[in-house]
Amino acid sequence: MSLVQKLSERKEDLTQKWYDLVLSSYPKETQEVWKSNKDQFTNPVGVTIKKVTSELFDLILEWKSADDLAKSLDELIKIRTVQDFAPSKALSFVFLFKKLMRDEFMDELKNEGKLDELLAFEARIDNLGLIAFDIYTKNRDLIAQMRIDEIKRSHHMLLRRVNKIEDVSAKGAGQV
Amino acid sequence: MADLPKADELFKSINYTPPSTGWMDTPVDTSPGNWCYPAKAEKLEYLGMPNPREWNPADVDWKLPENWQEIVKEGFRERLDKYRSLKVFMDICVRCGACADKCHFFIGSGDPKNMPVLRAELMRSIYRGEFTLAGKILSTLTGSRVMTEDVLKEWFIYFYQCTECRRCSLYCPYGIDTAEVTMMARELLHLCGVNINWILEPVSNCNRTGNHLGIQPHAFKDIVDFMVDDIEEITGKRLNVPMNEKGHEVIFITPSGDVFADPGIYTFMGYLMLFDHIGLDYTLSTYASEGGNFGLFTSADMMKKLNAKMYAEADRLGAKWILGGECGHMWRVINQYMDTMNGPANNLEVPVNPITGTVFENARQTKMVHITEFTADLMKHNKLKLDPSRNDHIRATFHDSCNPARAMGLMDEPRYVIKNVVKNFFEMPEQTIREQTFCCAGGSGLNTDEIMEIRMRGGLPRGNALKAVQEQHDVNMLSCICAIDRATLPPLANYWAPGVDVCGVHELVGNALILDGEKERETDLRFNPLPGKEG
Repeated sequence: MSLVQKLSERKEDLTQKWYDLVLSSYPKETQEVWKSNKDQFTNPVGVTIKKVTSELFDLILEWKSADDLAKSLDELIKIRTVQDFAPSKALSFVFLFKKLMRDEFMDELKNEGKLDELLAFEARIDNLGLIAFDIYTKNRDLIAQMRIDEIKRSHHMLLRRVNKIEDVSAKGAGQV
Repeated sequence: MADLPKADELFKSINYTPPSTGWMDTPVDTSPGNWCYPAKAEKLEYLGMPNPREWNPADVDWKLPENWQEIVKEGFRERLDKYRSLKVFMDICVRCGACADKCHFFIGSGDPKNMPVLRAELMRSIYRGEFTLAGKILSTLTGSRVMTEDVLKEWFIYFYQCTECRRCSLYCPYGIDTAEVTMMARELLHLCGVNINWILEPVSNCNRTGNHLGIQPHAFKDIVDFMVDDIEEITGKRLNVPMNEKGHEVIFITPSGDVFADPGIYTFMGYLMLFDHIGLDYTLSTYASEGGNFGLFTSADMMKKLNAKMYAEADRLGAKWILGGECGHMWRVINQYMDTMNGPANNLEVPVNPITGTVFENARQTKMVHITEFTADLMKHNKLKLDPSRNDHIRATFHDSCNPARAMGLMDEPRYVIKNVVKNFFEMPEQTIREQTFCCAGGSGLNTDEIMEIRMRGGLPRGNALKAVQEQHDVNMLSCICAIDRATLPPLANYWAPGVDVCGVHELVGNALILDGEKERETDLRFNPLPGKEG
């Protein structure tokens, strides 16, 4: 049985473990609350972690569409970009999947002499990490841009007035 | 964003787990990004507030007054004596946890100190440690502690991660008003000069010129004239906007954000067009040129002082009653505090809609009517000529602003107005609207850009609900009745539901209103082509 087949047979168990690992990057009290509430509108983070880990699991096994992977990653990365994490911690959830794979399969595959399968599969996770890095950076850029836009918006009419005054003086200067 | 980790931290991050210590022993993170910039010394000096100085929350030394512990303790004691509510709120909480997962900052951040019960516990633990006998003797058992510099720092970080939106209070079986706990904590912090510029600069400006940006009367008039120009360009009609004139029936007061900031200006244009359309006998004031009151986020005394201009200016100009614009916290001040602080407004009359004859009984005491109540009444009596098809390019939803919804119960009037002027209206999920509405995460003076990440995570529940109606119904406009919303929701929407814009309700009204003698309109109030006029 290939590694991918093994993975798809154990989907439920593995996605649950990945979900638990991601959730463990939050404080204990929070984990309890987020595990117990299944409503996506009053518990968006908990529900998104559940959804994304499950979605990504399938997409990594399929390994067909980078767009779909990016879309799913974005949902969780958006959240973790603005949470109080260093960039490495924000994206650690991708590599927690790698940790999970090693914890679950390394010994077994080593004994079977099939470690190369794991290494090949890990290349997918590394790629996922690179896509995640792009998305994270895009979100950070967006936040920086939002700060600039906000200041412009909040002074919109004052800037308009200042520009008008500048126009007038420029006209006057030309006449002299 | 947190600071960049060192290489060895990075190495460990794959096994990252949060601190396993309890909240009381977990130190507070005061690195940049976790706080709003401190108030400038000159602003504190001008306002006569304690301990003006240059300081940086990222430094170890906050340059507190030498006897700061005594100051806080004495201030706490004073307030416990003065406000029975504070004492009740300190004593009564049984830590049932009903509020724990209701705060948008907790929902978005996962930081337990953002659970309202824990945030209030930051203060209660001191209350028990300093003011109750049991707490003094059995500190660990009762969860009590004494005031240390770390506690004060924790207060500063977390009581400025509360927008006083009161969603948690809605679920509290005892009705504890957590916003008032935050207000008290902030008052105690002020006593040591620990406060933020985004609140105190507007307060200081407001005290001087009447509005948050410190705009003087001539500039204020210039800016209103710009809007009159724009309305003329769009409708072909030049409106007369009375300013500081005596002897009009109504004085209209709205947040200055509607005058200066995009997209509030389009809402302001909507007000002016409405008043012209019904021939309202009104005036604006360049002194009462701010409906917002950042005093509410400072102290009870400051709130009272800044609010006083409303009645004072209504009296000076001889108005009969006050019409108020689309603002959030302004209405908490008006509805819950104004009459007690600065009333009774004996020189004013019970507001009557001059067009419909409706007596606004609910405003009998304050003499101040919310514009959506006023406009809804006009619509109910068919007094407005409207062409809702001009808003056909808009697929709107409505964000209940925290204070109008939870502090005055204003939920149906804005919806009634919107539905009269927009054909495509869709509600967000019910657990995120009306009384249960989620905050924009920029209220209570936190709408400043240096904490954009905190605002975005606090804005997640609202953004998430918005995204749902965007995906389901192609919603492209988030309407609201609050100037802080109009400032804070655009980045929130941009981040969580890109493609959704933000507007005030009276912008939609302005688009739909058919003014007497107007030309055929080609654009909406933002100069975007109307449906069918795109070519």
